[in-house]
Amino acid sequence: MPTTSLLMTTSLFTGELVRLVTDEPDTQASAIIRWNRDTEYFRMLDSDIARQWSLQKMKEWMQKDQEPESLISSFQFNVHTLAEDKLIGFVGLGGVSWNHGEAWVGIGLGEREYWGRGYGTDAMRLILRYGFVELNLQRISLNVLENNPRAIRSYEKAGFVPEGRMRQMVDREGRRWDVHQMGILKDEWLALQAHPA
Amino acid sequence: MLEDIFRGELVRLVEDEPETFARAINRWSRDSEYLRLLATDIPVPYSQKAVQSWMEKELYATKPDLFHFTIHKLEDDCLIGDISLDGVQWQHGEAFLGIGLGQRSDWGKGYGTDATRLILRYAFTELNLQRISLNVFAYNQRAIRSYEKAGFQHEGCARQNLNREGQRWDMIYMGILSQEWEQRYKLGASGF
Repeated sequence: MPTTSLLMTTSLFTGELVRLVTDEPDTQASAIIRWNRDTEYFRMLDSDIARQWSLQKMKEWMQKDQEPESLISSFQFNVHTLAEDKLIGFVGLGGVSWNHGEAWVGIGLGEREYWGRGYGTDAMRLILRYGFVELNLQRISLNVLENNPRAIRSYEKAGFVPEGRMRQMVDREGRRWDVHQMGILKDEWLALQAHPA
Repeated sequence: MLEDIFRGELVRLVEDEPETFARAINRWSRDSEYLRLLATDIPVPYSQKAVQSWMEKELYATKPDLFHFTIHKLEDDCLIGDISLDGVQWQHGEAFLGIGLGQRSDWGKGYGTDATRLILRYAFTELNLQRISLNVFAYNQRAIRSYEKAGFQHEGCARQNLNREGQRWDMIYMGILSQEWEQRYKLGASGF
């Protein structure tokens, strides 16, 4: 099996363009606040109402990730470029359902000059590997907004299969948009490792 | 405007006191199938006390994004389950439906479909939502048929989402839009 040859020789957290790290809370909170000011970025992340948070509020909100239940159901990382070690976004697995072996993945690149250059796809490949060979999950799911075709393409490259749509779920800018649902099964991911697309 | 929108043909929607509802969940959770049809959570027989404290914090706290009802049979006013609209995103006018009937003897008799019709009417004519979503497990054929009867459309599925009884099962996504509901029920005879 291809992945066993990577054991002990490749860091789970190092890709080809990015690495997964944890930054100090202050650094992370400041970055999130800065990124959220870009409402195009913010409104592609999810369907939440766009708003502005203070640094303090953001740090309080981040605190809940340190609670015991979160530590076993949520695995969040920051994304740094390998070249400059620059913090450009986040990626993580959440809502882990251990009995079923499945979880949700979320990703966002707050620094828009890194969009469309493979950084997101590289981070996604790292988190999928983490999910399938470290957490031993069987399935990873995601939702993505219809008005984010760059992300949809990136997820397809990473191996996600379209599975459905929540029709007319989101109301923004005077029209309704679908939310696409995608998923990748462990067998599908393993097959990709053996024969990369 | 004079119709009781909480009263259906077989059931009514009410809200029981936390103690009453918790006692019912304690009884219903003795049947693992009630729990395994309802949720992905690991089934555990719940004590009334544990359920009640959870309920008081989560279900009975005043939350702007949750509308929860218990379900009573019209014929004997017996508490048979609960139904809710949860995660309401007001800006988008959408919410998730959840329903569970606690006892096997009440399954397959139309109570669930009746309750679902009531909550859809509530959603589309009182909350004025635009869309209701739900998830249902592939092994819950009875519920899938009930939702289809109530007007939900299949929208896809999370393949092999669940692992139970040595098999992986899909979790099915369904949704109904307000214009679909209007077409279905305004043209119908019932007045729902």
